[in-house]
Amino acid sequence: MNVSEVIRLGFGALKERRTRTILTILMVMIGVSLITSLDGLGAGFDNYIEEQLNTLGANVLIISSSEGGGGGGFGPPVQGPETKLTSQTVRTIDRVLGIENTVPFYRGAVTIKSGSEEKTISVTGTDQSKLKYITPKISLESGSFVSETDNTGIVLGYNVAYPADLDRPFAKRGQIVSLISFEVEETGGGRQTVKEKKKSFRVQGILEELGNSQVDNTAYISTSAANSLLNKNNIYDGIYGITRDADENEEIEERIRKIYGKNIGIISPKSLIELIQEIVGTFTAFLTTVATVSMFVAAVGIITTLYTSVLERTREIGLLKALGYGNRTILFMFLTESMTIGILGGILGILTGVIGAVLLGRFVLSSFGGSGASALNPVFLPIELIEVFILALSLSIIAGLYPAWRASKLSPINALRKE
Amino acid sequence: MKSKNNKFAIRTTDLKKIYLTGLVKVYALNGINIEVKSGDIISVVGPSGSGKSTLLNMISALDRPTSGKILIDGVDITRLNDKTLSKFRNRRIGFIFQSYNLINRSSVKKNIELPAIVAGMPKKMRGKRVSDLLELVGLKGLENRKPTTLSGGQQQRVAIARALINEPAFILADEPTGNLDSKTGNEITDLLCEINHKKGATIVAVTHDLEFADKTRRIFHLRDGLIEKETEGFSYNEACKRA
Repeated sequence: MNVSEVIRLGFGALKERRTRTILTILMVMIGVSLITSLDGLGAGFDNYIEEQLNTLGANVLIISSSEGGGGGGFGPPVQGPETKLTSQTVRTIDRVLGIENTVPFYRGAVTIKSGSEEKTISVTGTDQSKLKYITPKISLESGSFVSETDNTGIVLGYNVAYPADLDRPFAKRGQIVSLISFEVEETGGGRQTVKEKKKSFRVQGILEELGNSQVDNTAYISTSAANSLLNKNNIYDGIYGITRDADENEEIEERIRKIYGKNIGIISPKSLIELIQEIVGTFTAFLTTVATVSMFVAAVGIITTLYTSVLERTREIGLLKALGYGNRTILFMFLTESMTIGILGGILGILTGVIGAVLLGRFVLSSFGGSGASALNPVFLPIELIEVFILALSLSIIAGLYPAWRASKLSPINALRKE
Repeated sequence: MKSKNNKFAIRTTDLKKIYLTGLVKVYALNGINIEVKSGDIISVVGPSGSGKSTLLNMISALDRPTSGKILIDGVDITRLNDKTLSKFRNRRIGFIFQSYNLINRSSVKKNIELPAIVAGMPKKMRGKRVSDLLELVGLKGLENRKPTTLSGGQQQRVAIARALINEPAFILADEPTGNLDSKTGNEITDLLCEINHKKGATIVAVTHDLEFADKTRRIFHLRDGLIEKETEGFSYNEACKRA
């Protein structure tokens, strides 16, 4: 048997049924593409979360005024009993066994203006000498941190100083920028007015890029400057509790709970990230399952296409058998056709999956990552891509087996008689 | 390739084929005994349902008899397995069908090459044989045409070339002129005679075309699955022998 010629015969048949072949390849391609991109994005997201974890100290508890409330910046605020975080709260938490240090902070959204440019950023007021406990990798690209007694100095996060959408720095060291905060005030009768508060700061330092989108998109001022700018009335937005050892976080959390019950929010970044990874992992697994099901649908598509082809080519199969083509040769010819569909669908699917995931990765982060956020880079391991390809190929071979077997078992006499 | 110099190239002994249609037994062949010498050209005639095509299918190893023997060059092919029969058909038999059975998406050359591909014939040799055969059947220069662009007679010539590519000892033709007008039919008949003469292939043709049958050396008349009589073709001498 001349193998390459028999393969060419199969190709010829696929080409003759071009539209049907292309549609079947498309089915395989969509399945493979979905699996590839979901796998890549899932792994990329894991990496992204991991990066965020690495920038935060593991031995940190983020304490906020209520369960689910905003200190960590994740999740929607939940209505419920609140504990107002005052200097008294700070002192209480500071005395909890296992807490080494407390870093209270104010946080809010402001508009920052530099010359004619302006943008909305997050501003945090805190004791900057303690930032290294919260994000150990934080460092200055230039300048110095602002001391707690300085009410006019500001340190800009990397993305604030160098926004991705601007071809020059937003502000340089030594430059004066103004921060504008807005406050909504009830003026009685259900009416509200927006009160604007503006204050000038001198850029005293610029942070190195940390890879943590929250830090990179924040400007830091002293605690008292933030209290006044954001009208906080000495009520903190949150307190970072630095613990002795990350492994003790749960016990320390219990101790704080004993004091405040459920009226306070306590989040450990480590457990939070683990939770997110778990949710994302489950979600990715679910989507991948759906994508895998679509691969099986594609396999049924292959069966339908090839089986129809067997029916249409019954006479041709009869002729080939009469001319001396053995059962195995006919089986091989039809399997070649299904493998061709699998190989083309697999390769195209992996290509479109990779491209799709990269594009989607950009879109995902720009839609929730805020300004200047870098893209979510999908991660593709060659071994995983090979696995997906092998899955597509094996499914197409299995799907091709039945039609190929039917074709090989046709009696030449009956096949030749078929009109 | 001439068949081996056995006494008979084809010999059937009490060949029976019984089909079961529901509870009714249909005796398609009811004990056929024929003997065909090597290099002979014979035809099988008879009314529809007389068992002509069934007989041809048995001799060509496309179907198995219910009982009886079929000796081809001394070998009882009813005892061979499917794989050996495939090989046997490929190397020893050239088929010609009433409706040509060409693959329309493939070129004339590819169609002719089909039996040679499975026989594993090298590409160069196939190319040479195809061009020689196209010359023999009078289709030189048409190797890249698609069958659908050819006339019925031309398509049957392609099928004849295909039947000859592996240089088989036997050419089995089922109504080779059945789809053709009488002029073209005569041309095909002459071509088959020429092949019988030049290549020495044993030719067995099932036909309704009595003019064609008359040009073969012997004619088996079938009726109800039995050989009713055996006659000689009157025009054999002036037609086929001359070719």
